[in-house]
Amino acid sequence: MFRVGGTVPVMDPTQATREVFWNIEYTWLVYVLMVPTLAVFGWGFWLKIRRWRSGQPALRFDRPGERLQLFLRNAVGQGRTIKRRYAGLFHTLVYTGFIVLFLATTVVAIHHDTPLHIMKGHFYLIFQSLIVDIFGLFVLVGVALAAIRRWISKPKLLVYTDEASWILVTIFVMALTGFMIEGWRIAVTDDPWAAWSPIGNLFALGSDPWMTDTAMQRGHVIIWWFHLVVAFGWIAWVPFSKMSHVFTAPLNIFTANLDGYGGSLKTIDFETAERFGINHLGDFTWKDLLDFDACTECGRCTDVCPANTVGKSLSPRDIILDLQGLMHKRGDEFLGSRAGNGNGDGGNGSGELLPIIDQKTAVSPEALFACTTCAACMEACPVHIEQMPKIVDARRYLVMEEADFPEGMMDMMNSLESRQHPFAGTQFSRVDWTEGLDIDVMAEMDDPHEAEVLMWVGCGGALVERNRNTVRATAKLLKKAGVKFAILGREESCTGDPARRVGNEFLFEMLAKGNVETMERYGVRKVVTSCPHCFNSFRNEYPHFGGSYEVYHHTQFLDQLLESGRLDGNGAGGRSNGSSTITFHDPCYLGRHNGEYDAPRNLLAQVGGARQVEMERSRNTSFCCGGGGGMAFVDEPPDQRVNQERAQEAVDTGADVVAVGCPFCATMLDDGVNARRGDRDVQVRDVAELLWDAVGDSEEAAP
Amino acid sequence: MRVLVCLKQILDPDVPARDFQIDPDARAARRGGANLVTNIFCENAVETALQFREAAGGDVKITALCYGESSAEDCLRKAMAMTVDEACLVERDGNTNPDAAAVGRVLAAAIRRLEQDGGAFDAVLVGRESGDWGVGQTGGVLAEELGRPALGFVESLQPGNGSVTLRRQTDVGIEVAEAEPPFLVTITNNEDNVPRIPKTRDVMMSYRKPLQKLSLADLELDSEEIRAGSSIFEVEEIFIPADEVECELAEGDTLEERVDQLATRIHEVVASIG
Repeated sequence: MFRVGGTVPVMDPTQATREVFWNIEYTWLVYVLMVPTLAVFGWGFWLKIRRWRSGQPALRFDRPGERLQLFLRNAVGQGRTIKRRYAGLFHTLVYTGFIVLFLATTVVAIHHDTPLHIMKGHFYLIFQSLIVDIFGLFVLVGVALAAIRRWISKPKLLVYTDEASWILVTIFVMALTGFMIEGWRIAVTDDPWAAWSPIGNLFALGSDPWMTDTAMQRGHVIIWWFHLVVAFGWIAWVPFSKMSHVFTAPLNIFTANLDGYGGSLKTIDFETAERFGINHLGDFTWKDLLDFDACTECGRCTDVCPANTVGKSLSPRDIILDLQGLMHKRGDEFLGSRAGNGNGDGGNGSGELLPIIDQKTAVSPEALFACTTCAACMEACPVHIEQMPKIVDARRYLVMEEADFPEGMMDMMNSLESRQHPFAGTQFSRVDWTEGLDIDVMAEMDDPHEAEVLMWVGCGGALVERNRNTVRATAKLLKKAGVKFAILGREESCTGDPARRVGNEFLFEMLAKGNVETMERYGVRKVVTSCPHCFNSFRNEYPHFGGSYEVYHHTQFLDQLLESGRLDGNGAGGRSNGSSTITFHDPCYLGRHNGEYDAPRNLLAQVGGARQVEMERSRNTSFCCGGGGGMAFVDEPPDQRVNQERAQEAVDTGADVVAVGCPFCATMLDDGVNARRGDRDVQVRDVAELLWDAVGDSEEAAP
Repeated sequence: MRVLVCLKQILDPDVPARDFQIDPDARAARRGGANLVTNIFCENAVETALQFREAAGGDVKITALCYGESSAEDCLRKAMAMTVDEACLVERDGNTNPDAAAVGRVLAAAIRRLEQDGGAFDAVLVGRESGDWGVGQTGGVLAEELGRPALGFVESLQPGNGSVTLRRQTDVGIEVAEAEPPFLVTITNNEDNVPRIPKTRDVMMSYRKPLQKLSLADLELDSEEIRAGSSIFEVEEIFIPADEVECELAEGDTLEERVDQLATRIHEVVASIG
């Protein structure tokens, strides 16, 4: 047997190993090449870190336990990545392959460069040979699957760049050449443990019949160095390509917002802020800047974006990528633009401030004002990028610094300013809906503290004809359960949610402070409301303005009343209202923003004789009605209506009742369903209305 | 150049119908739960003045003037948030519903007072009418009191060479006029003078701008007469017209009979209304 090098076949598996650097001379060159490789790699990340550090402060290393959990679930465990089957599959193959191959390289290094000769015996055979081969194959298969998607099926959500293609090519080349050199070593050395490296062995067996040992040996040297150069070059390239997500994504997940989407908007200190909102990269926090670098261009955010789905120019992915591009392009110019925006300690404000709005189409006012703030983008992002708050930051700049926004939003804000509700021209007062119900108003009570809970009616409930039935039903159900509740009546103001989402933080703050003051006066501690937007403001935003309450959405409160027996339900044996199938539309600000999915469904189970069906997009992947973010006040182009897209989905379930839990969803879907139901009778009803039909006093059942 | 814009605070015209109540004794609307807002045509006037200043390249100082209760300070603050330079409130006392003659005289006295302090106003802008009473006489009375030429229903002012170009709406179309200051115009709305939403910083700054307060005693006026509300007219009675709906079905066995019946009834009803 012709043999080169010192490999001696010993059939005792406890002695199994292989020679490191077999067939390779000048091995010192490896270490020499490693120096510039790691230097460039380190320099690349240092540039990134320096850039992030130029951002405003943000508290994102607190609560390490929770952060670690999130890190394990969504970084290590790929929790969100695997939610898309195809991409999840190939990413998992490549991701696990990379980890195993990295471990294998580490084993080689330890074995060769330290006195610990660990690469032998069963460990060598099972891990270093068999498992490594299998995971190497995973990489090849994974990259092939990714390539099929990128080059053949070409889904709309991807960004098609040369860089992305080169990443696939280089990874594939690295894995393939790895198997080539393994195979030729096996063939030439006649490795007795060849069977433990099945893929390498396949190459060996494939080469043997038509290649001489000399050719294989020479090929091995060439490919070995080629493999090394590609790998080192690739490592040096990582910080400058989207492959940097290998490091930025886990960091981004670890430093993610832990408070839910409903509490993700920053407050502004109007006394000290140099600018309101953000139109300069330097006004973002370091975490925002990290977000830009964590993006993998997967496009899921844009894929689920309601505005984008109906053909509007908003694309959260492109916003992130455009801002990333500006950040990379600007370098030091950008670093000089640091200044305070009230989120932090200010700055030196030196250098010219380069605007971001309108630099690219993705960050045009038109795109920014199409956002419904539904947070579907944030929920879809595998690496926890926070797109929506950035959109609101930019809107703030447009609204507060430029006074530039769509007309419908202008009317809404005018009305909020002079009437404390957004519905200019309403025919109702805040108390008209109470007619005949005998409801306590706090200001008229001898002792407002007697009220166990404040029923916060909300402008959408009191002032929009269609929704008055919802608040009546809620009030009647509370009464039936014997809950001592009261309303603020005319003293209620808008919570400020639409102002805040549109970007008018100043107006929001005024309204919030006013409401906190009113509620303080009556000692309010517990609030129930049928508007998820009010609910979210109270729950997540008012604590910043001194208002901390125990807050319930009406479906949660009613669910508790049923469960505790205070409200007399009939199991699933409630009265039928004639509907056979109900589908529930999750309001963004109840579901995704605040995590409540079950309470409304529990209540719907009370409706006799009806079964519940789910829309394809439901619970945390629910599709917005189109009314959030102040969009309920904007006239959408007839062919770009989010509500109709959603209504179609609801109608397609075959349901005859679309249940909602939000006054904005109710009006948006009412319009949408009427446009899309065809000849069918499909009704949009609030959960409270349906529950009253089912378990309320029959003579008073809602129409 | 100095420009003066007069503002009036009124009961929110968008108050829901059910919330609108009147006080028959005072012969006026009750405040009730309604908000107070700036009269829309006055806001159009502010916007028109601001656009004039922008077109003139900045060398224009705009003053807002209001005769009203202390709550009217909000209107003036809002005007200053829209970047009006300074404001003056003449605090009303006595009659809460002074007529146009009284208001015109108060405003004229206030304007003379402001002119003593800061120089003559080249242009005085007044909303064409108010959204509460809608009498539409204040501009005319004020021009008379000031002894200035006036034009009504103006929608824009453009700076010219020593003069100002005015566009005014008429029944037959747009009329363009050249006016030599000083003059008074009443402003109507068009799509270009929709009041702007103030920038937040300007809202905050509005609290740092000067707001002068005058009382009737500060002005050389027969304040007794003003307090009485003056009078070019008197409101005798005020009421909300009751909508009455009566439904009657045209009867008959055939379509023709029913049409006949319908036509006959229409004649009768029209005749009964006279």
